[in-house]
Amino acid sequence: MKRHEAKIPFFLIWRFTTRSNKWTLGLTIFLMGVAFINLVFMTSLFNGIIEGSNDQIINTYVGNVEIGPSDHLDTITHASDVAAIARRTDTVTGVSAQMEVPATMKFGTIELSRSVVAVDPDQETMVTNMSKHMVEGSYLQKDDTDGIMIGIQLAGGPDVELNMSSLKGVHAGDNVQLTAGAVTKEFTVRGIYNTKFMNGDSRAFITQQALATLMPSLNDQATIIIVKTEKKDDERKVIDALKINGVTGTFTTWVDYAGVMKSVTKSFLSINVLMSFVAIMIAAITIFIVIYIDITDKRRQIGILRAIGIKPWIIRMAYVLQSAVYSFFGVLIGTGLFFGVIVPYFVAHPFALPIADVTLIIDPADFIIRAESIMLVALVSGLIPAIFVTRMKILNAILGK
Amino acid sequence: MSDVSSIISATNLNKTYHLGEVKVCALQDVSLDINAGDFVVITGRNGAGKSTLMHNLAVLDRPDSGEIIINGNDVTKMTKEQRTELRLRHLGYIFQEYALIAELSALENVMLPAMMLGPTRVARAKAQQLLMTFGLQHHMDHLPSQLSGGQQQKLAIARALINDPVLLFADEPTANLDSVAAHEVLEIFQRLNNDGGHTIVMVTHEPEETAYANRLVQLVDGRIVSDERRRA
Repeated sequence: MKRHEAKIPFFLIWRFTTRSNKWTLGLTIFLMGVAFINLVFMTSLFNGIIEGSNDQIINTYVGNVEIGPSDHLDTITHASDVAAIARRTDTVTGVSAQMEVPATMKFGTIELSRSVVAVDPDQETMVTNMSKHMVEGSYLQKDDTDGIMIGIQLAGGPDVELNMSSLKGVHAGDNVQLTAGAVTKEFTVRGIYNTKFMNGDSRAFITQQALATLMPSLNDQATIIIVKTEKKDDERKVIDALKINGVTGTFTTWVDYAGVMKSVTKSFLSINVLMSFVAIMIAAITIFIVIYIDITDKRRQIGILRAIGIKPWIIRMAYVLQSAVYSFFGVLIGTGLFFGVIVPYFVAHPFALPIADVTLIIDPADFIIRAESIMLVALVSGLIPAIFVTRMKILNAILGK
Repeated sequence: MSDVSSIISATNLNKTYHLGEVKVCALQDVSLDINAGDFVVITGRNGAGKSTLMHNLAVLDRPDSGEIIINGNDVTKMTKEQRTELRLRHLGYIFQEYALIAELSALENVMLPAMMLGPTRVARAKAQQLLMTFGLQHHMDHLPSQLSGGQQQKLAIARALINDPVLLFADEPTANLDSVAAHEVLEIFQRLNNDGGHTIVMVTHEPEETAYANRLVQLVDGRIVSDERRRA
């Protein structure tokens, strides 16, 4: 390559881009943007589903870390002390001691054996978000001694998935009879919540004060203490800190509870890989066709350039650069549309899936890889037809044969 | 056949096109020497092989057999890269349909081949000079589509001249021009030949255009049937 030749591809691409038909240019770039959005959308949807289901486990069920009693014990004694230690731990944002007791619940003629969970409602809101998903009535008050809060799957109703094994239509204000140990007591349903997480929505909650009226011996005891951290991935650090601070017992994380969702997540990851491959292929073919048509349309021009002595590599470089410009601005426009329009739309109107309301979540590294993929595909798509046309006989290119 | 004073010496050129199962012999044992300073007009009926001959002489195509010596070098044996370099440095082309780059201004079209060989400012200055010579100084920033046919062909001539070629090839350069513009273009060729000493090879259909040349080569069915020097 000679010194003066290197500037020619840039000279040509600048003129070709700035002086070509603006509509064609705009449409080409827009198509690149759409191809990019297609590539990003599916993966962000899958990420959203996976994140959504993970968040459901954390926010409605077990927090990030669950402290259980030591193996030989049924409960954690001095639960308030353990909770206090946990609260003082770095990155912990909420701690709630839960005392789960087996009980019998009776509503009309329906009688179910279900556990009831006693909590401090104020502390519970620091870990789980049931208080934000009340569909009837209101959340429990701390000093409520005869109120109960029930998940939608336990309350039941004609549209409820687990209606068969529910109280079949309990509403806020109804009374249910609760028997725990040897004590039976009437409780008024204060509220019904629906988090869309079936495991969580099959439970019933009362306050610790209410439990004290049923089973005073369980005072300051907990079957589990759930801990919320600032972000996922802090779990190991928190568990280590709790152990250092003398907390004994069993420690599990939300990941251990993912259970079925793990295999769903695994399936989603496999589908995601497959869909990404298909999306890349669609993007590649779309971009290839767009650039191929563009270059084929300029076949005569390329023939002329060759006839006047412009070297083939310069012509190829010009069209590869043109593809780079198309794809760069396509990615920019795609990014703008994705984050400016599509993501905000789905934040405002999430996909209402049975497991959670799902929004689009994109991993920055993944986003960059996909942007690079589009650009790489565009470069190859520009290079192949450019090689093809620059290998044609000059006269065939000029005369359109 | 090769002559030491020849700028081009073509010997026994053959070229056959295959149109499906039909073979068309476009050139049959054509030999031709062109000397420096010649203004050669190649004429013939449609399909006589005149454009094929010019394309082969102009290194835009390769003959099936035969040799073409330009400035002492056998161009039929050159690599693609060498032929590209030869076209850039030593040959100039004027096509029937102007063959300008639509997205480049008049000035940029002319300066492009010179940019391959030197600094942009030198190429620009040279292109400006040429455009002034052809009376296009007020159209330097115009795109080809904003120029008349005659102006576009003058632009093509200016581009062909930018790297000071030893040979100019023109393939029916007036075919798309009105008579006034055609006359202007032919006058330019004659001036380039007479005053500038450029060697010109031009293909034409028009009998009256042969008057501008000092040598007339006539082809029939891919063979040279006459080669007439018209004046010294």
